[in-house]
Amino acid sequence: MRVAVSRISPLLACLGLLAAWQIAALWLNTDSFPTAWHAIKTVPDILGDRESLLNILDSVRRMVIGLTLAVLISIPLGLAMGRSARVAAFFNPLLMMVYPVPKAALMPVIMLWLGVGDASKTLVIFLGVSLPVIYHSFQGARAVEEKMLWSGAAMGLSSMQRMFRIVLPAALPEILTGCRTGLVLALITMVTSEMIARQSGAGNILFNAMDMAQYDTVFAMIVIIGALGILLDAAFDKLRRRLVRWAEPHYEILLGAS
Amino acid sequence: MQVPLRPEIETGAGATSGRPRAPAMIEIDSVSQRFEISGRKSHLALSDINLTVEDGAFVSILGPSGCGKSTLLYIVGGFVNPTQGAAKVKGNVIKGPGPDRGPVFQEFALFPWKTVIGNVMYGPRQQGVPRAEAEAQSRRLIEMVGLKGYENFYPKELSGGMKQRVAIARTLAYHPSVLLMDEPFGALDAHTRTRLQNDLLEIWERDRKTVLFVTHSVEEAVFLSDKVVVMTRSPGRIKQIVDIDLPRPRRRAELLLDPHYQKYVVDIEKLIDDGRDDVVQP
Repeated sequence: MRVAVSRISPLLACLGLLAAWQIAALWLNTDSFPTAWHAIKTVPDILGDRESLLNILDSVRRMVIGLTLAVLISIPLGLAMGRSARVAAFFNPLLMMVYPVPKAALMPVIMLWLGVGDASKTLVIFLGVSLPVIYHSFQGARAVEEKMLWSGAAMGLSSMQRMFRIVLPAALPEILTGCRTGLVLALITMVTSEMIARQSGAGNILFNAMDMAQYDTVFAMIVIIGALGILLDAAFDKLRRRLVRWAEPHYEILLGAS
Repeated sequence: MQVPLRPEIETGAGATSGRPRAPAMIEIDSVSQRFEISGRKSHLALSDINLTVEDGAFVSILGPSGCGKSTLLYIVGGFVNPTQGAAKVKGNVIKGPGPDRGPVFQEFALFPWKTVIGNVMYGPRQQGVPRAEAEAQSRRLIEMVGLKGYENFYPKELSGGMKQRVAIARTLAYHPSVLLMDEPFGALDAHTRTRLQNDLLEIWERDRKTVLFVTHSVEEAVFLSDKVVVMTRSPGRIKQIVDIDLPRPRRRAELLLDPHYQKYVVDIEKLIDDGRDDVVQP
């Protein structure tokens, strides 16, 4: 019974939100605020249109490339920082400076150097994703028990093998938490970058529609981008749970006997 | 089938004292260890330690907390480099960790992402033993430490005592010449501790592997060891080495009633009490 409730509760929350939207829109009754029904009715039109679909796929492609590159570089960097005081001392001040700067604010400069195309947008996504992944990998690697590494060393693992076969799996739950934050940030920077450098993408459709006062399309795009975020996050969380099942708290069933 | 760890030594022979002089397995030569605390301050953890451990001997290092007994074990393990002096294993100066010295830690230090069998197989697999062979060998070891049926459990699902059994099996799996046990039962409750002592003794009396065992329990040290090295509080020095001349195989129920055992315990407790610098020191 409780399982069933927890399963459908996100769906109920979603429906509740849409109902509130519908009522509010009917009540306010202005052009700039279409009803939920109108917005959702527009979704198939957008997804059915070849041009729009290609734009959205462009966005997704940039996001996937930016995210993948960021993860591939940030995880080893974070792990190295977590295990070596010297590496941490070198990169920490750099990251402390970059961390609070909104990555979208760098967009104009990046556009100046790399143009308005894929490279700029992918780079902004890369920067947005990197920091949480580096930070969590760093924390995860730092928390790895020294004795676990000693046990590995006694078995004959070299320092490189210890990094990838002990530190990496031991820090994986923490790393994946960083990746989940990174995924959401990738989506945010994706839309932001397309808002600043309008040329293609989901953000481009959204803001062009805004300029042309096509409010149905604006809200439909918000629904599409939102749904994409929710789906990606849910899929990632499912993958994460599979990978770190050994660390999940519900596995903590202590057996009485020694 | 038994796991042949040291098949050349007869098991069950009662006379430890009558054994011919075995070659030295571990030699510790005037080892001192100084730790930098902050800036100019430093702390002398170990001072001029000389110790020889014979092949096949069970030697305990006993002392109050902070006497550097674990540090001494880490030096033999190759995890810590001594500030002065050198430690040797089988005549070779120890420069780093190696599979000839297998540690077992109080914190278990199991790989949480591996199952019980995955943990035990890790060492043999690292040493290039084929999967099927490593698995069969690991299953026998898991059975030997009393965990048959738990092969596919994750460490998180096990109690402290079970985790330490896995850790012991994991270390035995790669056939180290020396077992380095760092207060292995220190984190366990009294009942579990007793059971693990009994089982360790049974396993050891079958294989007679060299063991260096750090503890702060006098009873534990006397019950298990051939030799007890009593250390003083900081800086850690060897106060006395006591030979425990009790027959083997030892059985707890008989030993606790044995006046010789009781005398060893009382004598060693007195020895430790003598140096109660913790009371004298301001």
